[in-house]
Parts: sequence; C-alpha cells; structure tokens
Amino acid sequence: MSVLTPLLAYAGLVPLLTFLSFVLVGFLGNRLKGLEWGGWIAVLLSGAAMVVGTLVAVAEMLSPGQYTDVSYTWLTVPGSPGTFPNGVSLVIGFLVDPLSALMLLVVTIVGFLVMLYSIGYMHHDHGLPRYYAELSLFLTAMTGLVLADNLLEFFLFWELVGVCSYFLIGFYYEKPSAASAAKEAFLVTRVGDVLFLLGIFIYFATYATAGGGAGWAASGFKFANGTQPFLGPLVGTNTPLLTVAGLMILGGAAGKSAQFPLHVWLPDAMEGPTTVSALIHAATMVAAGVYLLAVTSVFLGFTPDDQFAIVAIGGITCFFAATMAVVNTDIKRVVAYSTISQLGYMVLAVGAGVTMVGMYHLFTHAFFKALLFLAAGSVIHAVGTQDLFKMGGLRRTMPLTAGAFLVGALSLSGIFPFAGFFSKDDILGSVFQAAQAHPAYWPFFLLALATVFLTSYYIFRAWFLAFGGPAPRDASLPTAHEGPWVMRVPLIVLSGFAIAAGFFVFDPAFASLLPGAGVPPTYTATDLGLSAVSLGLAGSGIALSYTLWGNGRIAAAPTGIAAQMRTVLLNRYYFKVGYDWIGRRAVYTVARSADFVERYVIDGTIRGFEKLFSRGSDLLRRAQTGIVSDYAGYVVAGLVGVLLLILYVGPAIVQSMGGG
Amino acid sequence: MSLAEFLPEILLLAGALLIFLFDVLGRRRLELVGGVAALSLGGALLLVVADLGVSGLAAIRTVPAGSVDLPLAPSLYAFTSLGFVFQVTFLLAGLFVAVASLSRPSDEKGASVFFGLLLIATLGMMLVAVASDLIFLLLAIEVTSLSTYLLVAYPRRDERSLEAAMKFFIIGALSTALSFFGASLLFAAYGGTSFYALGPGVAFVGFPLLAEIGYGLLIAGLGFKVTAVPFHAWAVDVYDGAPTDVAAFLSGGSKKMGIFAFFLVFLGPILLLRSAPDALPATFGASLQLTLGILAVLTMTVGNVLALRQKEMKRMLAYSSISQAGYMLIGVAVGTYPAIAGAAFQVFAHVFMKTGAFLVVAAVAGLGVGPLIEDWKGLGAKRPALSVAFALMLLSLAGVPLTVGFVSKFVLFSAAVEAQGFYVWLAVAGLLNSALSVFYYARVLKAIFLDRPDPTSPVAGPLTGRIGLARSAVIAVAAVAIVGLGIYPGPVLSGISTAASHFVGIGA
Repeated sequence: MSVLTPLLAYAGLVPLLTFLSFVLVGFLGNRLKGLEWGGWIAVLLSGAAMVVGTLVAVAEMLSPGQYTDVSYTWLTVPGSPGTFPNGVSLVIGFLVDPLSALMLLVVTIVGFLVMLYSIGYMHHDHGLPRYYAELSLFLTAMTGLVLADNLLEFFLFWELVGVCSYFLIGFYYEKPSAASAAKEAFLVTRVGDVLFLLGIFIYFATYATAGGGAGWAASGFKFANGTQPFLGPLVGTNTPLLTVAGLMILGGAAGKSAQFPLHVWLPDAMEGPTTVSALIHAATMVAAGVYLLAVTSVFLGFTPDDQFAIVAIGGITCFFAATMAVVNTDIKRVVAYSTISQLGYMVLAVGAGVTMVGMYHLFTHAFFKALLFLAAGSVIHAVGTQDLFKMGGLRRTMPLTAGAFLVGALSLSGIFPFAGFFSKDDILGSVFQAAQAHPAYWPFFLLALATVFLTSYYIFRAWFLAFGGPAPRDASLPTAHEGPWVMRVPLIVLSGFAIAAGFFVFDPAFASLLPGAGVPPTYTATDLGLSAVSLGLAGSGIALSYTLWGNGRIAAAPTGIAAQMRTVLLNRYYFKVGYDWIGRRAVYTVARSADFVERYVIDGTIRGFEKLFSRGSDLLRRAQTGIVSDYAGYVVAGLVGVLLLILYVGPAIVQSMGGG
Repeated sequence: MSLAEFLPEILLLAGALLIFLFDVLGRRRLELVGGVAALSLGGALLLVVADLGVSGLAAIRTVPAGSVDLPLAPSLYAFTSLGFVFQVTFLLAGLFVAVASLSRPSDEKGASVFFGLLLIATLGMMLVAVASDLIFLLLAIEVTSLSTYLLVAYPRRDERSLEAAMKFFIIGALSTALSFFGASLLFAAYGGTSFYALGPGVAFVGFPLLAEIGYGLLIAGLGFKVTAVPFHAWAVDVYDGAPTDVAAFLSGGSKKMGIFAFFLVFLGPILLLRSAPDALPATFGASLQLTLGILAVLTMTVGNVLALRQKEMKRMLAYSSISQAGYMLIGVAVGTYPAIAGAAFQVFAHVFMKTGAFLVVAAVAGLGVGPLIEDWKGLGAKRPALSVAFALMLLSLAGVPLTVGFVSKFVLFSAAVEAQGFYVWLAVAGLLNSALSVFYYARVLKAIFLDRPDPTSPVAGPLTGRIGLARSAVIAVAAVAIVGLGIYPGPVLSGISTAASHFVGIGA
C-alpha cells in the first residue's frame, strides 16, 4: 500500500479521457482550425491520459501484485439449471494488475508522443479532424483492451481496435493502394478474430462441462475477482479440446500481431500515415496479440502442444520476416518487417513459457520501434519519398533524425547497453534454457539466433542508405531539414527510452510489473557466453552492412550508379566486391519463396474463399427464378426433406448420439 | 370471456372500420385515415404496455418446471406474458410503418386501403399472440395473410406490386393448405386441436405416424411465414416488388408472427415429450429439434450467401432478413428459456433495425435516389443524419457491439452454447454467418460514406426532396433505440427473460 494505491480504482479515467478527445475533436474539429483542427485538444487529453496512466503504473509498482477491479454488469443472459444456474453476464470493468499497468504505461506514453509528433507531421494533410478523432478512438480502444477485466470485454475492445486500424490505414482512402491495404488488414485480422471468438466459446463450454460454469460464467469470464486472480491456469497436460482452444487463441493473436501465416497485412498497412504505423503497427495494436497470449497464459494456461505451436510460429516468423526486410528498398517497409520479426521473438518467449520475458521485450520494443518509425517519418516528411535508394547523406542535413534512427537501430540490433540488448538477450537466454528441457525447441532457438545477424544487417543497411554517403542519390529530392519542435521532442524522448528502458527491470519496483521467471535477467556463465555470441552476430551484421552499403563504398562510386541503384544491377555490383554470395543466394531464395507463398498460397486462399462464396451466391441466385411454380416446387421439396428428417434421418442420428 | 380482455384488438378493429367508413364517405385524405390508424395502433400499444405495467409480468401464471404455458383446460385463447411481449413488438412495427407513411404525399391514392389493411393485419398478429388452439392460430394467421396479400397489391397500377402479390398469394395458399392438412392430421392423432389437447394428461388417441407427419406439414406451412429456407423463395420477390413501407411491415411484423407460431406449435412437443415420453416415439422431440436446427442453419447461410452479391438495396435487405430469421429459429430449435428469450429479444430488436432500414430505403427513394447500392454513393456527405441512422441499423444487423443487434445475438448464441451438445454448433454457425454478413453491410457503408457519387447520380445534384417530419421522427426513434438498448439493455432484456421463463417453466 502506498498513498497512490487508491488511484488504482480510477484507471478507467484513461480510456474516458481519450474518448472525450474523440468526441470533442470528432464533433468540433471542423471549427477548430486555429487548434490544428482539434489536434491540440487531442494532444492535451492524451497527455492527461499519459499522466493518469503513468501514475496508475507507479501506484501498481508501489503495491506489487495488487489486483484492483472496478466493474459494472452490462447484460445478463438467463441461465439454465445444471450447467449455468446463474446465467452468463457481460461485465464491463477495469482491472489493474501488473501486466495491464505495464501495458498502460507503454500505450499512453507512446500515444501521447505520437499525437504530439502528428501536429508537425500531418500539418499539410486534409481531413485532420477525422485523423485526430480516429487516433483518439484508437487510444480509447487500446487502453480499454489493456484494462479489460474479462475475456469478452477484451474481445469487444479488440474488435474496436481493429476497426480503428482499418480506418487509419485507409486514411488516404482516395489512394487505391491505401483502400485495398485497409481492406486486406481488416479481412486478415478478422480471420484471427473469428478464431479467437471460437477459442472463447470452447473455454466457455469446457468450463461448463468441468462443472466450473456456475462461478466462472456468472462472473462473465473475469480474469480477476476483487484483489485476486480469479482464473488460475487450468491445464498442465494435453487435452484435445483445450489444445484446440489454445490454438484458436493463437490464431487470434497471429492475426493481430501479424504472425506467420497471417502476417501479410502488416507491410501493406504502411499505406497509412507514418504516425499511425508508429503507434498502431509498431508499438501498441500489433502488440495486443502478444498481450493476449500473455494474458491467456497467465489466467488460463496453454497445453504443452499449444506451447510448441506458439514457439514454432514465433521462431518461424522472426526469421522469415527478417529475410524479407533484407531485400526491401522502402524505409517504412523495412521497419515494418522488423516489427513482424520482433513480435515473433515475443511470441517465441511466451510459447517457451517465459511470458514475462516476452512482455519485457514488448516494453522495450515499443519505444525503439516507435522511435524508428518516427525517425523514418521525419525523413519521409523532409524528402518526400520512402525509397532508400533515392536517399543518402541525410545525416548532414538531419543530424538529430540520423542520431535517433541510429539509437533505434542499435537498440533493435541488440547492442549493449541499448534497451533491445537486455530484452532480446533475455529471450535468447530463456529459450535456450527451455530448449534444454524441450529439445523440439532447438530449431526455433537457432532461427531466433540467426535472426540477430539479419536484424542488425538490414537495419544498418537502411541507416547507411538513408543517412550515409555524401548526398542524396536522387538529386531531385528537396533539401532536407529537421522537422518542427513537435517532431523533434518525441524523437529525443523516445531515444532516451530506447537507451534506458532496458535498465528499468533491474529496479525491483519496476520488475514487479513483470512478475515471472526470467525478469530481471540473470547473468550466469552460460548467459554471458550466449550474450557474447549474439553480440558477435549483431556486430558482424553491422560490419557486413558497412562493407556492402557503408560510406566508403558509396563514396567510391558516387556518379552514374545512383540512378541504377534500384535495379537488379545493383546486386551484381556488390557481388563483384566480394559479397558472400552463398549467404546472399540463400537469403534471396528464402525471400523469393516467402514472397511466392505470400502471393500465391495465402493471397490465393483468401481470394479462393471470396470466389467460393461469390460462386455459391451466383449459383443460389439462379434458383431465384422469379417463376412461382418453381417456388412451389421448392416448398414441396422442402416438405419432403423435412418429413424425411423427422421420420427417418432424425431418429437415426438421435439414436446414434445415444439420446432419446 | 370478457370483451375487456380484448380491448386492444377491439381498438384496432374499430380503427379499421372507421377508416373504411371514411372511405365510403369519400374522406380519403392521407392525414385523416393515417391519423386514425396511428392513433388506434398507439392506443392499443399503450393498453398492452399498461396491462403489463399494472399486472406485471410475474403476475401472469407461473408454469411448473418442464411444461409450457398452455391452458389448463381446452380453450381457444390464453394470455401469456411472452404473448404480450410479441404483441408489443407487432404493435410497434405497425405503429412505425403507420406513422412513417404519414409523410407520404397527402393526395396519394389508396391511403384508406393501406391503413385499413395495416390495422387488420396487425389485428391478426395480435390474435396469434394469444392463440391456444391450433385452428384459432391458423385462422388468425390467415387474417394477417389475406390482408398482407392485399397490402402488397394496393398500388393497383404498379405491375411489379401486382406480380409480387400474385406470387405471395399462390405460395401463401399452398402453405395454408399444408398447415391445415397438418392440423387435421394432428386432430386425428390427438382428438383435439387445443394446445391443451396436445399436452400431457390427455389420452393420446393413437396413430403416432399421423402426428409426426402433421408436425412436418406444419413446419413447411409455417416455414413460409418465417421465410425459412427452402420455403423462402417468395420473400425476396415480394419484398422487392411490394411498396417499401409494406416490406418494412412484412419483415418487421408478419414474419415475427411466424416465429411466435413456431413457439406455440413446436415447443409443446419438444418440451412435453420429455415429461410424457409415451405419447410419441421417444426420439421424436429430439429429431424435431434437429430438423429445426438444420432449418435454422440453412436459412441463415443461404440468406447471407445470397445477400453477398446483391446490387439492389431492397433485395440485399430482403436476403439479410431471411438470414435473420435463421438466427431466430435457433431459439425455437434450442427451446430452453434463455434461447426463447434470445429469440424474442431478437424479434423485438428487429423492429428497430430491419423495419427501420426499410423505412430509410423508402425515404431515400423519396429523395429520387435509385434502387441500386451504387446509387447511394456519397449519400453520407449529403444527408449525414439519415446516413448515420442507416449505418447504425446495418451495424446492428451485423451484430456490432453497443447496438441492440449485438445484445440479441449474444443472448441467443450464449443460450445455444449453454444448452450444450448439438446446439453449440448452432452458435458456431451463427457466429460464422455473422462474420460473413459483415462483408455486405460494410460494402453498403463504404458506398455511402467513402465513395464519391457518380456525376450522373441524383446524389451529385442538390437532392432537394423532402423526407417528411413523421418519417424522420420514426427513423430517429429507431436509431436511438438501437443504441439505447445496445448500451443499456438491462430492463427490457430481463423483462423478456422473465416472460420467456414463464412461458416454458424454468425447469425446461
């Protein structure tokens, strides 16, 4: 207990403040030209939300392990005797526990910084009231999701978050690519949503048959009851039904967090404004999938089979996405692929049973990835292109942005002592330990380890291409300049976090927000050895990147090549200077086949479903002849069907099911 | 029997007679006859609600566990709390349509026919809600059916309406024949047609096969009313051809009557056979439920899949209406009281979403906008309030949270999951269908809010037509109710739950 503890009951203020912002900006924004079309209101209220959010997190740190729950019953479905005598309630409530306090901290801080940055970044766009209103609504949905005190409320906000993301990706809806990216994101994540909902249903049904339905259902799927966790992990062994439920939850998480094979939407989601990418598609919403896995593993538990599936998905995703980042030429997409890859690390950690280590990485990643995006946004804002091969030499004109991107890149690469080092190293160390108990995890550990090398290679490639060299390769680019102060301040603050956030967990109070094995990391001899290996890999990635793309190389051939840089010839050129062609080849093949899978298998499946339903629709429509005797024929056929069902088929089925 | 019990029904009848009297006297102004219709519908609604308020739902007979709220002795009618809930629903649908129709041009031909028949159709539905005898039930349904055939055809010069009415009538006649044939078989099997006679405690005359076939025929006959697939094919042509206000009434009112008839006819055998297994083959109740379940899944799926590719707004809504009937049938198939409550709540909610949506379509057509979905492009910028109301209705039909449609689906699907076993699959099918339905609703929303109007479309012009105060008011009420009941469903939901629990007995 501390003086701040009573504040925990008011965590619900956070979503209310941002909702107020949504309402004010949404309805009055058009009249507030002087306040940047309502942007400053959104900044102010999200700032207030950040203050409350931070205070709540601090209060939770000062009373470690506290569960504070404020809830209202929204609607009650009457129950049947037997399984659910008390019915099922839908409860809306706000629960502060260590995990949600941590998430609240991340979401409100990054949310406020992005809002502030938007004032400068979006200044020249149209439709700003819509932008700030939607971003505020997103923050409402996201903080609501974080604070949800039960699974159904979690799902409701989860859907709302998805809707906001849809609108924001499609913010430039007049651009066909933006509209189709928004649609794709919505459809793909919806696949995950349906799986998630089915998972909830299975848990629900399982609890009913296990006889726990009375209390559990009546409480509306609540995570916690009063001051204690309400649901304990219910599984230790494999039960087919619970495994399936866990896989469904994994499906939902994979959709939101863009995990293989549902990752396709995230790179295309970069069609939205860069600020949206930073907030939603890097720091918060995409992390919601990981948060769902963490919440599920804490409050419900996964079976060992589920855990293996989660480890596999995480391991495959982190490597797979990194290979695609290696060859991309669009600065935002490189960062987007790296997001998918880093989310893969988090999923891997949750699957390996060290949930809190995954959440630790989520925490540090939110800051350095938002930083990378905002720095990239600063570049795009200044030069008006996203093509890395047109840029160059920007460190001279934009020293602050170059520095910020460098800090982000170092943190992402996991270089000591930046934030990413601690959390990523902690994941590798923990999975290494888990793999000793579960040999099946080894391949995925190795993939994760190899990803360290790829990560530092591609992010530094991006840095060298954009900021290294003497001048932009495309001379037609406007002369770059730093953004206004509203854009610079978030970069500086986030840089601070990207450097320091890794150290936070060594403070016991902060570590109490991540109560679980592996946090804070310990450093035994094995761990130190592993750290050395991963530092070595990261270092050699940077070194390779420097050899291929670094200052000297570009300076040596400054003319003529610039225009050709984007073409395949470029790759040949680097072959000549001694690129490790085997590695390159392998990377390309993997990248190509990944591209193939993405284009034909996954897109194809989605289109296939679309076609299937359209065909079905056309086929059925043919029955709608408009001729009344046909309709009478359907009635008679239906009658025959009904009679057959009642007289013969039905009894047979009922008997075979053992009923009567 | 005391006439006072039927005061609401008498009010409707009197209103209809007054309207026809005015017609004979040559007073056919729309405001006059429409006003009479709206007043008598409103008065009847007040009476029913006041009745509920005075006696309270709980005061109506509580039924022992494992049985159905059926008369304790043979009788033609019985007042049940669930019946009152449905009466409120029917009267609301009628009132909405009547008030909205006041906004039509006052010199329009056929106003007295329209409003008079509307009252008589509603009267028939009111009687269905109190029926406790199979023949009484079928006759009450006929009262409604005959008036709705004429309602569809009342714009006599419109060929599309006439064709729709012909189809409606022919398929309707076939269905009526099937229903009455089924009833006669049940009479042969039970020796009576009162639902009391179909209950336990009465000697079963014999011929179980006759009874089974009788119930099968009734599924087909009543399936016509609720537009259950494959008895649905008429619905789209009729909704499309009928005047839009009539379509609003058909989907919001007369289809709901079919759902209540399903409750009356089939819950008896389903529930009673559990307590009186000798009457019919032991598996009959379960196989009846299975059949109804299959019908429900078929209905929602076919409706949704067909709606996907529709280009016309009215036809899209008609198909979506069919799929909604599928969700309601889940309540009949499951048959537990939470499921019945879910279906009753869905029926209630449907008045606001579907009747409301059809009324909006009529309003937009009145503005001169074409019938295709793409004709609605850019309407959001021109008529923001109307568009937002329509968006709320569609979102509610899709089952989006904070709308009443979400609450009703939530109750219905959780009830199916609660019932366990086979019924869980009904909930799964319902969920998948809800996800599917989002596609076509989203398409409409995109056209309204994101697309720009085609240069030739009336929306691109000044769009000067007027919607009318009365219609705007009804649309606003429906939209507010959708959100209000979505956020705070408590009292209404618990009232309907109580009614449902009294209908079947909590032990069922």
